[in-house]
Amino acid sequence: MDESILGAWVATGLTLFILSFLYRDNPLFKLAEHLYVGVSVGYTIVKAYDTVLVHLILKPIFEQGEIALLIPVAIGSLMLTRYAPKASWLSRYAFAFIVGVGSGLAIPRVISSYILKQIEDTVRPLMMLVPGEGLTFTWNVLNPASGLNTIIILLGVSSVLFYFFFSVEHTGPGKAVARTGILFLMIAFGAAFGYTVMARMSLLIGRLTDLIEFSNPSYGRPTVWLLLLTVGTLVYLNGRAQGTPPDK
Amino acid sequence: MIFLRRQVPLFITLITGLVFAAQYYVPHPSSELLLTSATKWLQIIGGFALVLGVTSLFHLHAVKIRRKEVGWGYSVVLYAGMLGTITVGLIAGGKESGADGVSTAFGWVYNFMMVPLQGTMFAILAFFIASAAYRSFRARSREAAVLLIAAVIVMMGRVPLGEYLIPLSGDVSQWILNVLNASVRRAILIGVSLGAVALSLKIIFGIERSYLGGGKE
Amino acid sequence: MAFAERMLKIDRRIIFLVIGLCTLLPLLYPVGLPIKISPEVRSVYDYIDKLPEGSVFLLSLDFDPASKPELHPQAIALLRHAFRKNLRVIAMTLWVSGTGMADQLVTQVAKETGKEKGKDYVFLGWSPGGSAVIINMGQDLYTSFPSDYNGKPTKGQPVLDGVQSLKDVSYAISLAAGNPGVEAWYVFGKDKYKFELGGGCTGVIAPGLYPLLRSGQINGLIGGLRGAAEYESLIGQKGRAVAGMDAQSVTHVAIVVLVVLCNIFYFSIRQQGRQQGQVR
Repeated sequence: MDESILGAWVATGLTLFILSFLYRDNPLFKLAEHLYVGVSVGYTIVKAYDTVLVHLILKPIFEQGEIALLIPVAIGSLMLTRYAPKASWLSRYAFAFIVGVGSGLAIPRVISSYILKQIEDTVRPLMMLVPGEGLTFTWNVLNPASGLNTIIILLGVSSVLFYFFFSVEHTGPGKAVARTGILFLMIAFGAAFGYTVMARMSLLIGRLTDLIEFSNPSYGRPTVWLLLLTVGTLVYLNGRAQGTPPDK
Repeated sequence: MIFLRRQVPLFITLITGLVFAAQYYVPHPSSELLLTSATKWLQIIGGFALVLGVTSLFHLHAVKIRRKEVGWGYSVVLYAGMLGTITVGLIAGGKESGADGVSTAFGWVYNFMMVPLQGTMFAILAFFIASAAYRSFRARSREAAVLLIAAVIVMMGRVPLGEYLIPLSGDVSQWILNVLNASVRRAILIGVSLGAVALSLKIIFGIERSYLGGGKE
Repeated sequence: MAFAERMLKIDRRIIFLVIGLCTLLPLLYPVGLPIKISPEVRSVYDYIDKLPEGSVFLLSLDFDPASKPELHPQAIALLRHAFRKNLRVIAMTLWVSGTGMADQLVTQVAKETGKEKGKDYVFLGWSPGGSAVIINMGQDLYTSFPSDYNGKPTKGQPVLDGVQSLKDVSYAISLAAGNPGVEAWYVFGKDKYKFELGGGCTGVIAPGLYPLLRSGQINGLIGGLRGAAEYESLIGQKGRAVAGMDAQSVTHVAIVVLVVLCNIFYFSIRQQGRQQGQVR
């Protein structure tokens, strides 16, 4: 139980040190910031060692005899020569392999998923053949699959694609299409901004929820004490900064 | 030497690119086996790529400490954090909790240092977006006004209080997202994908060579 | 300087304080307004609800601690639902810094619902390569993950009985904070291996996934904290997401008020400027 109490104090302290940046850049924030980079990198290295070296390379080669895995190990090692100035040209072989395979894998899949499938859904039929009713055109605005919305989507996709096609001058009827495209773009960016605000606020809500949890007496109220410490430190640093005579 | 330094890598890119692009259309078992092996290899090489990114960071801060530049104390903190995490991580065998479910020291560092630090770094963005919205989100033109109105409708429509105050905002924001926004994003997706495919083809055929980097010609 | 100009140049720390209070106070004194369920979240819920017992459900927790507030509640709600329906759960992650968090949350929900590791669920852990991992899993699950996160061999575990690759997965959901994420799971996964795919994501990338939702490439989308709150309401177990909705409401209204005020001051300055221009 002691580790979680110590952990609560450390977590709260680090959270408040980073929040102190909102007042101004200060040594507490810089300390927390550098610690963040160090710990993140350390974690990545441990995971890369455990997952890649032990479980993907050493165990399969020595316990299951998959000698063929020495080839990607060799290619990966070639990549590391990038930092040796005399041998850095060897890293080109590794990058050539990775980029070649990556591009080859991506091309047909991207064409299928993002181009063909997306165009297929844009040019959907406007009228439905309903048994007993014949051809019907649906007007329901709230149903994204209705006939009316299919027309709007088609309009939106074509006008935006036209707007981004800069090889043709946007004059005459082209100008009207481009302006429609801009209108659609502005609405989409507005929606994106609204969602970004929602996302950022959610992140803050998450952190504050943790701070409230750690203000519990069972942890020793770290939020309260460390808040006083942080504010006190900022006031002291502020006083020191004001006390120092300006450079001539 | 030029042959080894320039032509061979380009040749490797050409052959691997064409082979794996063609592989998608060939359902023969040996083609599938080739894909399985290649992606397994990519996983291992991906691990080495992680190490690559880390090395430059090591170097940057080591230089700062050695030259005792301004703020070198913080670089020491960075190194201490990194080495401390690596040490406890290797002792714990790379696991955050043991077989019995009890948290290791590595798990402690992850839960009480990494998670709060990373979480708070991104949480302070909430304050900056509010400040930026207040200072610069002005309806200077008709287009900006449209952007603003759409943003306000979506912000109100996605929260219970907004739907309570303006009952239509929920449905309108759903329509904006599913119809207007979807059409724009679709156009952008198609456009970007066409560009990406064109770039990939240029890389495979050796017209685009910037990815090679490393060393003189 | 006119009042409007002074208000526009106000110290940003006052705005920070306003936002801080708007977030903190509703968390301390919640109200609990009703949450309307959107069709895209309901699609995910309905699909999982209709899966027969013993179906294989793959949950890819593709996020790091930075996105924890939005995606952690989504993961917990989905896992609770999946375990309640007695589905066989395969959990994994494509983001290295999210591994510890993913392991803990799966273990926590499994313990709470009385599920056994190896029999009812497995946590495969992380593997580098992003899209390469997805393709490899689509070819042969046991090549991409020869052992699970605890080092136990994946071949032979009862939960993976009859599962050779992604083709044997009934439903996959990727909870994504970026790339690799939902798009990668579609392009390198569903496109060739034809399993049903759903998505959960942060608010930042949600609008970009609507084209895939509309074309049926993903069958549903849980967007941000609001999506998590809707899913929690659907499964009838309210958690952190619902608790955060009041604060979300107040902060959104606060931002709208700030934007409206900013424009009022801006237009009044512009009006004054025009009038002064006419007088001269």
